Amino acid sequence: MVKIFIDDKPVKVKEGMTILSAAEQEGIPIPHLCFHPAFASEGSCRMCLVEIEGLPKLELACSTQVREGMKIWTQSERVTEARRGVLEFLLAEHPLDCPICDKAGECKLQDYYEEYGHFESQFREFKEKRDKKVKIGESLILDRERCILCTRCVRFLREITKTQELGMFNRGLRSEISLYDGELINNNYSGNLAEICPVGAITDADFRFKIRSWFLNKGHSICPLCSRGCNISIEYHPGFPRIPRKKRVYRVISRENPEVNGHWICDLGRYEYSYLDENRLENLLLNNNGKEVRLDWERALQLMVPRIKKLYHLKKTSRIALILHSWLTNEELFLISKIFKDDLKLEKIFVVDPPQGEGDGFLLTSERCPNRRGAQEIGFDFKAADLEEIANKTDILIIFGHNLLDHFSLGEIKAALDRIETKLLFTSRGNGLSSLVDVVLPTALIAEKGGSLTNVEGKVQSFLPALEPVGESRPEWQVLVNLAKKLKVSFSYYRPFTSPAAIFQELEKEIPFFKQKND
Amino acid sequence: MEEKVLTKNFELKNYYKIDVYLKEKGYEAVRKAFEKMKPEQILEEVKKANLRGRGGAGFPAGVKWGFVPQEVPKPKYLCVNADEGEPGTFKDRYIMSHNPHLLIEGIIITSFCVGIHKAFIYIRGEYEAVAQRLEQAIFEAYEKGFLGKNILNTGFDLDVFVHRGAGSYICGEETALLESLEGKRGHPRLKPPFPASIGLFQCPTVINNVETLSNIPVIILKGAKWFCKKGLPKDGGTRVFGVSGMVKKPGIYELPVGTSLRDIIFKHAGGMKAGKKLKAVIPGGMSAPILRADEIDIKMDFDTLVNANSMLGSAAIIVIDEDTPIIDVLKAVAKFYSHESCGQCTPCRIGTSWINKIVKRLVERKGEKADIDSIQRLANNILGKTLCPLGDAAAMPISSITEKFRGELESYIAG
Amino acid sequence: MSPKFSDQTKKRIKEIIYRYPQKEASLLPILHIAQQEFGFIPVEAERSVAEMLGIKPVQVREAVTFYTMLHSQPVGKYHIQVCSNLSCSLLGAEKLIDYLKEKLKIELGQTTPDGKFTLSTVECLGACEEAPCMQINFDYYGDLNKKKIDSILNGLK
Repeated sequence: MVKIFIDDKPVKVKEGMTILSAAEQEGIPIPHLCFHPAFASEGSCRMCLVEIEGLPKLELACSTQVREGMKIWTQSERVTEARRGVLEFLLAEHPLDCPICDKAGECKLQDYYEEYGHFESQFREFKEKRDKKVKIGESLILDRERCILCTRCVRFLREITKTQELGMFNRGLRSEISLYDGELINNNYSGNLAEICPVGAITDADFRFKIRSWFLNKGHSICPLCSRGCNISIEYHPGFPRIPRKKRVYRVISRENPEVNGHWICDLGRYEYSYLDENRLENLLLNNNGKEVRLDWERALQLMVPRIKKLYHLKKTSRIALILHSWLTNEELFLISKIFKDDLKLEKIFVVDPPQGEGDGFLLTSERCPNRRGAQEIGFDFKAADLEEIANKTDILIIFGHNLLDHFSLGEIKAALDRIETKLLFTSRGNGLSSLVDVVLPTALIAEKGGSLTNVEGKVQSFLPALEPVGESRPEWQVLVNLAKKLKVSFSYYRPFTSPAAIFQELEKEIPFFKQKND
Repeated sequence: MEEKVLTKNFELKNYYKIDVYLKEKGYEAVRKAFEKMKPEQILEEVKKANLRGRGGAGFPAGVKWGFVPQEVPKPKYLCVNADEGEPGTFKDRYIMSHNPHLLIEGIIITSFCVGIHKAFIYIRGEYEAVAQRLEQAIFEAYEKGFLGKNILNTGFDLDVFVHRGAGSYICGEETALLESLEGKRGHPRLKPPFPASIGLFQCPTVINNVETLSNIPVIILKGAKWFCKKGLPKDGGTRVFGVSGMVKKPGIYELPVGTSLRDIIFKHAGGMKAGKKLKAVIPGGMSAPILRADEIDIKMDFDTLVNANSMLGSAAIIVIDEDTPIIDVLKAVAKFYSHESCGQCTPCRIGTSWINKIVKRLVERKGEKADIDSIQRLANNILGKTLCPLGDAAAMPISSITEKFRGELESYIAG
Repeated sequence: MSPKFSDQTKKRIKEIIYRYPQKEASLLPILHIAQQEFGFIPVEAERSVAEMLGIKPVQVREAVTFYTMLHSQPVGKYHIQVCSNLSCSLLGAEKLIDYLKEKLKIELGQTTPDGKFTLSTVECLGACEEAPCMQINFDYYGDLNKKKIDSILNGLK
């Protein structure tokens, strides 16, 4: 540890830190554009210049390491003048088209001008005219007039994805970022470029002209599309659907977590968020001889519970089958395990997950579900689902999720399900199974509930709801608690769990793997 | 007449050929260094000689060599900076064309001192004829056993290669030179780390200018004391001054450090051309702040010029006459730096071009007095804020011209 | 249509690559050779050089577009590069540039219709003692005036 002074305030920081990180730690912001914690210091924007006692020139905060006794000023006259100078240069050759730029509201140039600028433009010359709508990726557009040549994009493609689709061509003011020979950016992390671009030079076609950033709320969640468990931020319009907007969720962006996904998320997690809003099931439905009747949760459970209890008392729970998936949280899987395995002593329990995809060697895993490890640790085995075994001598079938459709044809499933008397389906969206079961119960998605997931490396991550459940849908854990209460079998000498956290406390006690892992 | 060191025997025919060079006691310094001196002694001598870098920055060569760590598990490199691009400068071209073996001697002794076994001469791409002459001289040196394996049976190996640049002034800056040599764009690097520890291919590297290295043989042969006496105690030896512009006899003039600028122009270079009167002088290459006609009674050495708010730089003297409008000088300066800016850092990339745009407008008489204030303000915003010295090299002359010749500029603008 | 280096050139290139502890460092020398061989550096040459050195073509283009002497587009048989820097302008470079534009009937950066001459201005060539000067391909010409320029150009076949 070394003792330094930032703006005359003595602080103790780790040796070898840069001034920028030390200041950040102390809550003192130093503006910077080209610096990004994922890359080595570039030192080219010159925005982070600070004054250091004893040194004649201003020095860069992003690359200068602290030393014992160093005295740093981040607000002195020389520093504010230098900052204003850099801003003036950047804004001189900037198109200043905020009214049509998607980055408005989250743009570093705007933020810094607001904080450190407030000068009138003295640029009387002709600005450089450049291409404003260059397609550089399937979902990425480059506006060269807005580009401040911080080279974050070039460095990202060189150091992180190692695909180097972008380069810096020409020299001096004519420098520009460009593809090579029109070869588009083609890797699974291209979406991060629009995020790391500090200005509106690289924008996402998916977000382009759709909504202003200041209308969006951020909800923190975990991406469920593979088992990496990348931390994400879901950006949605809080007024939807009351205030007419075209959608609820407009964007999914990354959230930094050094232990899981670093600063990045893959394009799958970034762009495939339509499942949050499209084709959502909002009502409970009972298939009554081809007619759909709306139910409420009480009635639905009333249909289920007596039949299960009857079989339980007849010691015939072997006639109940259960299909799960690994999109359920640790808490939900725990409840299922207690209720169906321990108490009801079911034998026919199958985990049916989405088919595997290709892992990309970085974040995206080949498993395309978020809690397979959790299911494993809680004690489920993953023997392959067998329709014959499911249908044979089964009176009640409870299905979570619609993944059966990924493994069997509709005809095959129908044939099997038709042999079963009572079929219940818990799902978040309309799908082919809905017409084959008796009761369809709408469930909330990971983004709409709280709980925890265990990622491929065994890291348990807990999260709160980012969005509200839609319509009548409910988180599975709530339904299961209710079910346990009504079933009144031994697990619930009934525990009135009111939150996933409370469930996790029990889980921790029973399964050592989860002890003290919550995070 | 002063004894010449670097330009000695320039008038001798074929002096660039090793047979002629050897006849004139060539390669004696190399022999002495290998046979009579240890590397530490050579380093001491060069330090005591106060040999300042002759590329522009004037950093003491001995001190620079001293920064290279002694024992490292990595190879060490020597880069000879022959990317002579500072406007007004042409001395290295002469040294390399007429006296390539002197440079090679300097390279050999330096490498022996620091422990280097591979040297690259980074020569600007436009100097193709010079590069070929260098390659020929190197070939001759290999043949005679002064380069290659086991030089003069000492067990010391050294390879020297000529590496051509491709047209970029910024590649004369030492870290940009390294980047360019490594096959990349000539973008200067952040310092620290310094090339002496992390340089070419991440290895310890010494980078010295052609003229600097060409002074090493005489320091070995005649000693540091002699060298200091030849010039000044803190700034030893001779400089090869390059005079151009409105003088009768433009060309190179090897004279002791500390020679008066007036003498160089009027005594050696023949004075003003064809009845012209002196208006201004740029004393050390375009990056040096301009001097008015009444400021040329000044000794040409690093410290004196710094005290006069200018610099000795590459000792390239550009003489400007009264019939040349100062706006033309400003135009050439502004155009040059905006063309040569590498584009990496904000102030230089945008600032040099902004200034150039204003100057172009002033040239067309579409400006106003306030534009001069703008230019000065912008130059100030560039000075000291850039990643490499090119920003300063642009800001300083522009500041000095707009300051010292403001009156003339204002009249020009007013038409 | 891939431009091919002659076998002799390939040998030269191999020898050059051998000099450097890292292959990429031979990029500039190889690009000079490519430009001499093909007159300029077409995209196909960029790709084959990249392959030779184990780097990406974008790195080659980054270098080609950075350096003034390397051209992505064809230039005339004789590339006339007139210095427009300070010492040369003090000694009348501007008038000579205008003269050349008039004589060749092209603007700066253009090539004569017969493909013989391309005219450009460049910054300091390092021959200020012979100002005003120009470089044609790799040859320097100094102490220029209109007459000299005429005779130089006439001598270029």
